[in-house]
Amino acid sequence: MKERESIELPRLGGLVLSGARPILAVILALLVSAGLIWAAGGNPVEAYAALLDGSFGSAAALANTGVRAAPLLLAGFAVGLGFKAGLWNIGGEGQIYLGAATATAVGIIPLPVPGWLHLLLAVMAGFAGGALWALVPAYLRAYRGVNEVCTTLMLNYVAAYFVSWLLHEPTLLAEEGAFYPMSPPILPSAHLPILVKGTSLHAGLILAVVIGVVLYFVLRHTPFGFRTRMVGLNPEAARYAGVGVARHIFLVFLVCGGLGGLAGAGEVLGLKLRLFDFFASGVGYEGLALAILANGNPLGIVVGGVFFGSLKAGASKMQIVTGIEASMALVIQALTVLFVIAIGFGERVRLTRQQQEKSRAEEGAAHGPELHQ
Amino acid sequence: MDLNSISDWLQASLRLAAPLMLTSLGAVYTERVGVVNIGMEGMMLAGALVAVAASFLTGNVAVAAICAMAVGGLLGVVHAYLTVSRRGSQLISGAAINFLALGATNFAYARLFATERARVATYPVLSPPGLRSVPFFGPVIFAQPVIVWIALILPFVFAWVLYRTSWGLNIRAVGEHPQAVASAGLSVFRLKYVGVILSGVFAGLGGSALSLAELGYFAPAMTGGRAFVVLAANVVGNWNPIVVAAACVLFGAADAMQLRFQTLGSVIPYQFPLMVPYLLTIAALAGLVGRTAVPKTLGKPYDPETI
Repeated sequence: MKERESIELPRLGGLVLSGARPILAVILALLVSAGLIWAAGGNPVEAYAALLDGSFGSAAALANTGVRAAPLLLAGFAVGLGFKAGLWNIGGEGQIYLGAATATAVGIIPLPVPGWLHLLLAVMAGFAGGALWALVPAYLRAYRGVNEVCTTLMLNYVAAYFVSWLLHEPTLLAEEGAFYPMSPPILPSAHLPILVKGTSLHAGLILAVVIGVVLYFVLRHTPFGFRTRMVGLNPEAARYAGVGVARHIFLVFLVCGGLGGLAGAGEVLGLKLRLFDFFASGVGYEGLALAILANGNPLGIVVGGVFFGSLKAGASKMQIVTGIEASMALVIQALTVLFVIAIGFGERVRLTRQQQEKSRAEEGAAHGPELHQ
Repeated sequence: MDLNSISDWLQASLRLAAPLMLTSLGAVYTERVGVVNIGMEGMMLAGALVAVAASFLTGNVAVAAICAMAVGGLLGVVHAYLTVSRRGSQLISGAAINFLALGATNFAYARLFATERARVATYPVLSPPGLRSVPFFGPVIFAQPVIVWIALILPFVFAWVLYRTSWGLNIRAVGEHPQAVASAGLSVFRLKYVGVILSGVFAGLGGSALSLAELGYFAPAMTGGRAFVVLAANVVGNWNPIVVAAACVLFGAADAMQLRFQTLGSVIPYQFPLMVPYLLTIAALAGLVGRTAVPKTLGKPYDPETI
């Protein structure tokens, strides 16, 4: 990551390249998947038509895409913000579980407060739960120099089992006598409002998009964002410039965790309306993939998240219409990411070479007259 | 607890540890050459499915094992190409391989086995029946399928190669100081490729142990995070094949214990033993238990133009 970002680019050139790479990868992934569908005896054109119809073909399909995209966006920000500070937050999955658990804990208690405040408290609890789950890796990384990849990865499974335990204990979060481990229902006052009547599209999507836009501006135009990028690109230089690097890394890490927590909170308060055992099923890792696709750029994550969301939403339609299993959507996602990595290197080499040639040309210009004397 | 239930528990521990131990063999090597492979989860899953499919078609478990190793190795080649040759992010490549394997195995499972869940030939128990009824050692050692024996023997072989051969020295050196290896005239790329491909091959074999040791069928997402337990064992076992395998046995024992907690009921919630490997790893990394010696260039791509 660092090497790629340290290459100086004219603003426009960088923009075009960073956009072209994922698009090319998507096209390649769709082509390879078409081959797989064809090999399995299906018709790729029909399958993709059904996929498109199921994700963008109607108001209900669009709403479904939005519902699927909302947690992906927040999980993507949880990783992407970390990228900018040079952090690898692989713990999105665990932060989602904890954020969902704390949001549920607040959401099922009848509080003597107005509805909007109950909802706000539940959402804030989700943020706090995710941040809390990032506390130990953040401390270890910022103040003890322990690599965050392994610690956050390990905590994902701890979180899943921890929440599972909460859902098995009647004194904690479990609904008594339920056929499957789950919490009691979230009270209506803590529900995220439904945006379009008759669909399940909830305000979590708006929350996610707003956070994306805010993040984009914070990273570009505020001292906090500037410090974050500085810490990510060159912590030594940041230290010389007077940034408290350890403290800043700690803080950014907690915010990353909080964003992951919001992804979980949005799912329980907006869509599922209960906390279920093992509900996250890989959203945290998909957020990781999204963040790399977009190179940590919040607006890129929004675009990529809608793409992943549309694949998930359209896949069930594809299965109903053409009989091609919905798991093909996962294959398309995975291939997209693999192609992005494969293409990325060529681009990096080309840029380095361009830069070397440029500096050589500059040197030549500087020394040129002397040689001719 | 009487002797019988202890030997039962140890028997289950070893059987549950076998997939972890087999996967850990390659995991040590890939991390020793400096490449993190979280894609082993997907490689195990692919191995588990392919082993069942091959056993179903041929009825021969040796062929099934070889097919599982081949598909794992193939995914290993993908990971090596993306992370070593193209210097892509090891985590992203691994995560994408996991998604690919999850999607592809679900897809193939629905196509192949959805209508009939055929039970296929499993790894045989080789010892004579007389030995199996020996008290304690009978069930714990002799009544185990042959793959468990393989899993118990191979760590010693892998440790011998790593510590007692010059090729093993190259493997250990390449993750610590690739430039030194390169200036000795050896191919850093080739060593890294071998390490990563080994992790795929043995994750595939580990996957086959998961589906063919006892069950004889495949279930979607049946690996359930076992490769991450192996990564944990790697840290706890300090990247030494024998110690890592021992950690795998310990984690297998924790798994066997939680299954007993679930069926028999206990004061301790059954989720707690499941958390042990992960918490132990964090404690080890934080320096609370012993010292960890992480391979120096672990996770970093090698660029031959840097010195």
